[in-house]
Amino acid sequence: MPAMKTHPFKPLIVLIGAALLVVFLLFAGRRVAAQEEAPPEPAGSPMHPTFPLLDEEGVNVLQSGGPVSTMRTCGDCHDTAFIEEHSFHADVGLGDFAGEGAVPDGRPWDLSPGLFGKWNPLTYRYLSPDGDERIDLTTAGWLQTLGARHVGGGPAVYSRDGRPLADLDPTPGDPETSIVDPQTGELASWDWEASGVVEMNCFLCHTPDPDNEARVDALQAGEFRWANTATLLNTGVVTRTATTWQWNESSFTSGGELATNSLSIQDPTNENCGQCHGLVHVEAQTPLVMDACTPEQWETITTGQIVSPQRIAASGLNLTDKAGLARSWDVHAERVLNCTDCHVALNNPVYYRDLDGDQPEHLTFDPRRIDLGEYLYRPLHQFAKGQSAQGTLAPELDDTIRRCESCHSVEATHDWLPYKERHTTVLSCESCHVPKMVAPARQMMDWTVLRADGSPQTACRGLESGGEQFGTALISGYEPVLLPREDGDGQTSLAPHNLITSWYWVYGRPERPVPLRDLQAAWLDEEGNYPPQILSTFDADGDGRLADAELVIDSQEKEALIASRLQALGLEDLRITGEVQPYRISHNVTHGEWATKECRTCHGEQSRMTQPMLLADHVPGDVMPALIGDSATSLSGELHQTGTGALYYRPQTESDENGTALYLLGHNSVALIDWLGALLFLATFAGVIAHGGGRYIAARRRASQEPDLREVYMYSAYERLWHWLQTIVIFGLLFTGLIIHKPDTFGIFNFRYTVEVHNVLSAILLVNAALAAFYHLASGEIKQFLPQPHGFFDQAFTQARYYLRGIFRGDPHPFQKSRRQKLNPLQQITYFGLLNVLLPLQIITGTLMWGTQRWPELAQALGGLPFLAPVHTLLAWLFASFIVMHVYLTTTGHTATANIRAMVMGWDEVELHKEAA
Amino acid sequence: MKDFKYAWIVGLTFTLLLVIVPLLTVVADEPEPPEDPWAFVPQRVPDVDHTNLIQGPFESGSDVTIACLECHEAAGQEMLQNVHWKWEGDPVLLEGRDEPVTIGKKNQINNFCIGIQGNWTGCTRCHAGYGWEDADFDFSNEENVDCLVCHEQTGTYVKSNAGRPDSEVDLVAVAQSVGTPTRANCGGCHFNGGGGNAVKHGDLDSSLYYPTEQIDVHMGRHDFQCVDCHKTEDHDIRGRSISVSVDDENQVRCTDCHTATLHADERINAHVDAVACQTCHIPEGAVRDATKMHWDWSTVGNDWPEDPHEYLKIKGSFVYEQNFMPEYAWYNGSADRYILGDTIDPTQSTVLNMPQGDVSDPDARIWPFKIHRANQIYDTVYNHFLQPKTVGEGGLWTEFDWDLAARLGAEAAGIAYSGDYGFAPSEMYWPLSHMVVPGEYALQCADCHGENGRLDWNALGYYGDPLRWGGRTPSVSEMGAE
Repeated sequence: MPAMKTHPFKPLIVLIGAALLVVFLLFAGRRVAAQEEAPPEPAGSPMHPTFPLLDEEGVNVLQSGGPVSTMRTCGDCHDTAFIEEHSFHADVGLGDFAGEGAVPDGRPWDLSPGLFGKWNPLTYRYLSPDGDERIDLTTAGWLQTLGARHVGGGPAVYSRDGRPLADLDPTPGDPETSIVDPQTGELASWDWEASGVVEMNCFLCHTPDPDNEARVDALQAGEFRWANTATLLNTGVVTRTATTWQWNESSFTSGGELATNSLSIQDPTNENCGQCHGLVHVEAQTPLVMDACTPEQWETITTGQIVSPQRIAASGLNLTDKAGLARSWDVHAERVLNCTDCHVALNNPVYYRDLDGDQPEHLTFDPRRIDLGEYLYRPLHQFAKGQSAQGTLAPELDDTIRRCESCHSVEATHDWLPYKERHTTVLSCESCHVPKMVAPARQMMDWTVLRADGSPQTACRGLESGGEQFGTALISGYEPVLLPREDGDGQTSLAPHNLITSWYWVYGRPERPVPLRDLQAAWLDEEGNYPPQILSTFDADGDGRLADAELVIDSQEKEALIASRLQALGLEDLRITGEVQPYRISHNVTHGEWATKECRTCHGEQSRMTQPMLLADHVPGDVMPALIGDSATSLSGELHQTGTGALYYRPQTESDENGTALYLLGHNSVALIDWLGALLFLATFAGVIAHGGGRYIAARRRASQEPDLREVYMYSAYERLWHWLQTIVIFGLLFTGLIIHKPDTFGIFNFRYTVEVHNVLSAILLVNAALAAFYHLASGEIKQFLPQPHGFFDQAFTQARYYLRGIFRGDPHPFQKSRRQKLNPLQQITYFGLLNVLLPLQIITGTLMWGTQRWPELAQALGGLPFLAPVHTLLAWLFASFIVMHVYLTTTGHTATANIRAMVMGWDEVELHKEAA
Repeated sequence: MKDFKYAWIVGLTFTLLLVIVPLLTVVADEPEPPEDPWAFVPQRVPDVDHTNLIQGPFESGSDVTIACLECHEAAGQEMLQNVHWKWEGDPVLLEGRDEPVTIGKKNQINNFCIGIQGNWTGCTRCHAGYGWEDADFDFSNEENVDCLVCHEQTGTYVKSNAGRPDSEVDLVAVAQSVGTPTRANCGGCHFNGGGGNAVKHGDLDSSLYYPTEQIDVHMGRHDFQCVDCHKTEDHDIRGRSISVSVDDENQVRCTDCHTATLHADERINAHVDAVACQTCHIPEGAVRDATKMHWDWSTVGNDWPEDPHEYLKIKGSFVYEQNFMPEYAWYNGSADRYILGDTIDPTQSTVLNMPQGDVSDPDARIWPFKIHRANQIYDTVYNHFLQPKTVGEGGLWTEFDWDLAARLGAEAAGIAYSGDYGFAPSEMYWPLSHMVVPGEYALQCADCHGENGRLDWNALGYYGDPLRWGGRTPSVSEMGAE
């Protein structure tokens, strides 16, 4: 900015930068004054003015010594009430608190679509509704255990019916005003007055180095009022003594405002977002490390997504083929994009987006929008998002995010890809651009059993050892499974996902997951040891300990034992239930150089698209997990258990549900058609060999007769041209078609080139056929191909008899070939069928297959690829058989090569028949 | 046509063309590879075996040179023009000076061992000649040229004081081994500049004798010799460095072999107008062996514990760094130069060879530098750097007497010495051009752009990160212009 002061804008630029100037002027006065006093601190924020920290009453914290109130402090200039009200990050489901069973696509006991009320087997703890006999988490308990991933505001300030928590009257048994005593499990009253509430925490996202650890500590300790103050702990603005918090006066100016260098306010960085959402590593110089497959960060544990510009090879992880992984973890982080560049505040005018088709036709640009000043006063804290696989988080914001194609032109970059429209319709960009997850991710959670430390059995995918201890384990990463997912525009395409399978006990009517403390009481005694009853039942090798392999419910006896122990605690209707949840992968996108480009990854027998994904090594209690789909992602595949008990998910691409039926060239084929076609082809071949052999033997027994011959100009140059052109093209089409049909058998051929050659040859065939048809029609030659109705059957019979008998005896051909009458009746009927049925059908099916990307609706109406492709294949077999026959019959002239020679040179030596002469 | 026996060939050809031409036109081809850089790499000629051509015996190095000159008649005169011999460039007119000056090791100082005048016998061990031990050395006698140091291939050739062969050297065997200079020949001096391995440059050290491709893609992956890039004709060796050669002549450039716009991404290609190839492709200096970053002469003479990488009684205190992140500055190929006798401001760090160029200089690029910082002796009355005598009789390294060393050195260098001395900070810029890494290890966007970038955009003269503020294009310059 100082540069601008010394170099005023030119008028044009002023016009363009008007909005910027407004903001500039807003703060210029303060800034200039500050600069006159002292040179600006580089650590300070370049734009944000200094400000005092205020407490709940609006009093400077230096005077009151109380906790900072973000709503009051930031509310001095920004409309914090508006911000909190319009933020799903604060609300996390409170606004849609529906009560059990009323959550769309939810479990029976889910209470809301958000973090506050939606149960998840990964975190397990359950926010209990009012009236439950057994309370797992009360509101205060939720803040203590799950509040770490909540920014404050919403349910941390307001009750489920919208009253301030501090105003609630303590009611015994009310989960909003009580807390579960961890020792006794009894409900005790919770004093909101004493604990205070957690206001929406601006510092967590808007300061460069928030102390999240201290914040979480304060939450867990129930010091809700101090949680936001704790976020400032490592800035030195506040210090923690043994009993209280002390504001540090040296961090403030004499006027009571925060000094510029003690706290800077900024746009959220990737690291800010990463505190709750996933592993973020911004420094290129220090190697990225992670301790185990259980990082706190959600996206990393559920899918293995890591946001970092660092080259994977430069990370500190023990990865397979690491040296070759010169690509970055995330190409967008590498190219200096921030989370907030795509997940923008929806009313940020910088990212203003015209709503397509919503403006009148005569307008191409509408300059009217909120200016930066208004935006800074009321920045909408609803952030653009795509569709999470769970689909229930803030569904009203679904697909507000810029999509890949909002910034990237597929058109300009994918010319190398045959059928690019078809590919981009069927596949999301991520399907190819997230070819593999390098980091491990959670695979399975088994809450039916507990380890000695009170944790469930878990498994990770992408680790060589399969366990979750990193130390020396080699990380192999995993290939995500491709699941059909419906986008906001109603289009369904395949997108990469991880699948996490969980098993757990539920009890009662209505169903509830068994509270963790009951589960622990059933599994472990008070010293944290397994009771003898459990040991004797589970300890297969009798070593007095339960190894992970032993810790599994794989018999009625074990299930009954645990059920009875839970029952003894007062739980009824116990049963094991399981679920498979998809987690979508949209980050960790790679540059095209590293994307899946090899066609046969999908177009081959081992297609990536139908590759099964391992869900678990065993199925606890033999309970098949339910496939939890939702409005967006459908789990249309099937579960499949191997002999060893391992459970797999097999994607289903051929089903017609949701219109997702696919026919993958090179992968799919209809066995019956291939068998029939091959049989027909071989039969023709065998017949030809037999007939030819017979002729050969007959000819050797017979003295050769020189027929009377006459040279006739049989085929015009054009006729020969179109014939031979068609010959070459059809041979080429059959061959390339065969490669496309069975690419694994013809591995040396490049699939992509083969597809393109097939298409070009088809075009030549089409043009050639059209020109030839025109020639035959215009010249009247077409008549030669039309069987004469009169006496046709007799003549055909005569010709057939010749082929069956006469030809062996050396009889002359029954019909004399002439310029006007080249074809015998059998040829006529064959070509009639060939040219009027086979060829047009083949052209139509082929064109429609090509047209799946040009006119997808038309192709779909006519059966789509799953119908067209097998027909095309069958017709190809018929063509191949015809060619065998056709070529053989050319040898039935007076010499074996006479007919071929005629078709080459045009002049035929025609046998003279007595009657014709 | 009927009688034309080969009509079918015509027909077949025509028909095939109808198929092949559309195929070739329509089926997309792989993009053409960029111009092959190997086309610009000189072909290596096998060395002529000199075993039978050279008999000996030889009494001295000069005897060998005389033998060489018998056949290579022009080589002597060629070498007399070579800076490896002259240690002094052609006169250049530096900005702000009235007269052209000659610059070289012969007459100027650096901030390592400072200067050779008065210290000849020690420094000229790396001179491509024999017997330079005082100011009277005869630079016109071609018999004093040292052919062996560059051409011998036994690896046993060692030069001692004043550049003469060590008495142990078998001159006949060495002379019979001659061939094209290898990395070992050049490295013998250039990897040991500043008095030991890796001391001086930050991108030249003994790890380049047997480098991996992570150290240097040219020498590691493709087994380049120095002379493949530093092309030499008639003993005129391409290449220079701004420590001693400050004008923009005779440079070795990446674009001698590589197309500047060879990157697949246009956005990277757009960088080449403002960013040197080296900037991204040399992410760090001193990849294997630590290099000297700081030298404090003022602590000489203390009986402190010695460690060649921290403190030596004769030289003072050092800081060495490995894998250092380069510092970045605009550089158009030329540099300013501190000339012996120039006045300094002892309170400020004096840059001895300031790279020229800035954001508004279209010929300048952002370059990676090793900046060597030192604290070296100066005259507190005249305010100019002194050049102490260190080697030999009365030298600092034997007497530890700064005043004596300064007086003897000033005499030899012909500068004034008042008798009062002190120590003042200085800096030297060493542009990095070796230890080039392949693209897969080069810097990426986020290394320079964004919150955690390594470049100080404001210091480089930008309004801010050019990713957001735009590069140094006319429109942006205009935006800030009066």
